[in-house]
Amino acid sequence: MKRHERMSLKTVPLIVALACAALVPPSLAADPRQQIIAGYEATAKAAKPGFNGFSSERGEAFFRAAPGTGKPETPSCTTCHTADPRAAGKTRAGKAIAPMAVSIQADRYLDAAKVEKWYRRNCRSVLGRECTAIEKGDFLTFMINR
Amino acid sequence: MRQTRHAYPEQSETDAAPLRDLPLRAFHWLSVVAVAVAAMTGFLAPPWWQPVHVIAGYVLACLLAFRILWGVFGSRFSQFQSFSLSISGTIRYLRDIAAGHNPTFDGHNPAGTWMIFILLALLAALVASGLLLLGGQEKLGPLAAAVAYQTARRFRDIHEIAAWALLGVVTLHLLGVAFDTLVQKHPALTAMVTGTKPGWKPPSPAANRAWTRRGMVLAGLSSLVLIGIGTGLSSLPAKGYAPIHYPDVYKTECADCHSIYHPSLRTAGAWRKMMSQLSDHYGEDASLPDADNQAITDFLTANNAEAFDTEASWRIGRQDTPSLRMTDTGYWKRRHRKIENTAFNDPAVGSKANCAACHQDAATGLFADGKIHLPERNRK
Repeated sequence: MKRHERMSLKTVPLIVALACAALVPPSLAADPRQQIIAGYEATAKAAKPGFNGFSSERGEAFFRAAPGTGKPETPSCTTCHTADPRAAGKTRAGKAIAPMAVSIQADRYLDAAKVEKWYRRNCRSVLGRECTAIEKGDFLTFMINR
Repeated sequence: MRQTRHAYPEQSETDAAPLRDLPLRAFHWLSVVAVAVAAMTGFLAPPWWQPVHVIAGYVLACLLAFRILWGVFGSRFSQFQSFSLSISGTIRYLRDIAAGHNPTFDGHNPAGTWMIFILLALLAALVASGLLLLGGQEKLGPLAAAVAYQTARRFRDIHEIAAWALLGVVTLHLLGVAFDTLVQKHPALTAMVTGTKPGWKPPSPAANRAWTRRGMVLAGLSSLVLIGIGTGLSSLPAKGYAPIHYPDVYKTECADCHSIYHPSLRTAGAWRKMMSQLSDHYGEDASLPDADNQAITDFLTANNAEAFDTEASWRIGRQDTPSLRMTDTGYWKRRHRKIENTAFNDPAVGSKANCAACHQDAATGLFADGKIHLPERNRK
């Protein structure tokens, strides 16, 4: 008898905890954009100990810059995305690119692998190198605020 | 002077046969319309009129089938039996005309008879070569399942030569009718419109109605049989072409940036080379993880130009270019030479690489003439 009582006392809180977890709406569980930014933040802190957060202003400057270190066909992000993040862009082959600003295009930056894929391709094309975590985080912050 | 009227055995005293029965006249004028439509769409119209050209050809096929049956089962002057193609008779007739004589015939004069046979033969050659081309080159129509591209290619010249020949023979036909009507004062045109001529003893209205009924039944039945056979054959899978399924990795990794290219547009060698230099893909970095690159390369090489028998796979796909670009092939340049560069820079198009902007069926690899829609046309 005693043994049985002890077991039920232990299992009750566990059941309550599981029930609570199941009731939490998935949207509150994690914002995928914030998770992506958190990932870049961790990398940025590791690379630069004095790092104190991403900046929308730095992101905008990065977006509009023409570094001149990449391929001549793509001097800047704005070559394809236009100078207005809320406007649709166009690839050099003529295909439409959805606007970059989250306020216009709500399904942007929800898939970390997709975000990484385009950073890899486009940073190499425009900058001639991969982007740093700070650049990626700044850029994302700018686009989320737009 | 010789009584020319008795010099020709084809002549007879008028009897109660229709001179030009109604089914024959209907055949004649419907053929005029169909040939006019086919000639306008074939010689003058831009390629996207091809479906209209093809319909005119199908109509001509039905008309010809009826005419052959009517040459056997029609009224006396519609029957091929009544046609004389004697060479000596024709020469005699032409000599008589040149000498200023004016022989008359109940049916057709020997020159007119030759004209009918040449016109019918040319129309048959045009319909046959057209069907072969449609099947082998466009992978459409009743012969698509049976004809290879390289077979059809040989008929392209035949179709064109026959078309020019028909244009010439139609001109001769019109000149002949004009001579007959205006110089010889024969009611040739009146006969083909009204079915009779002054002084002709027409058959009874009931007999005329019987010929018309018989013609309608024969035309209806022969057309139904042709349409049935044609529809059945057209539904068979085309030779050397089957629709493909695009893997998702190809759709996102390649077609997010450019129009989705059918793998039959390049050779396996060209695809392999392109996939091995993606870090500099026409001025952009399009490099991929190894697994994705391999999956896409496998898809492209398995479905490369050699795996298809379409016009695009032969004229563009099998033609390797140093840049690997399709737009550098001679055929691509020739077919797009009339399109201004400004049209490619049009916001709706963007670049020469955007096939699907005008070719609505670009993703199928077929590039049918009828599926071309230039944006300028749509904007109006």
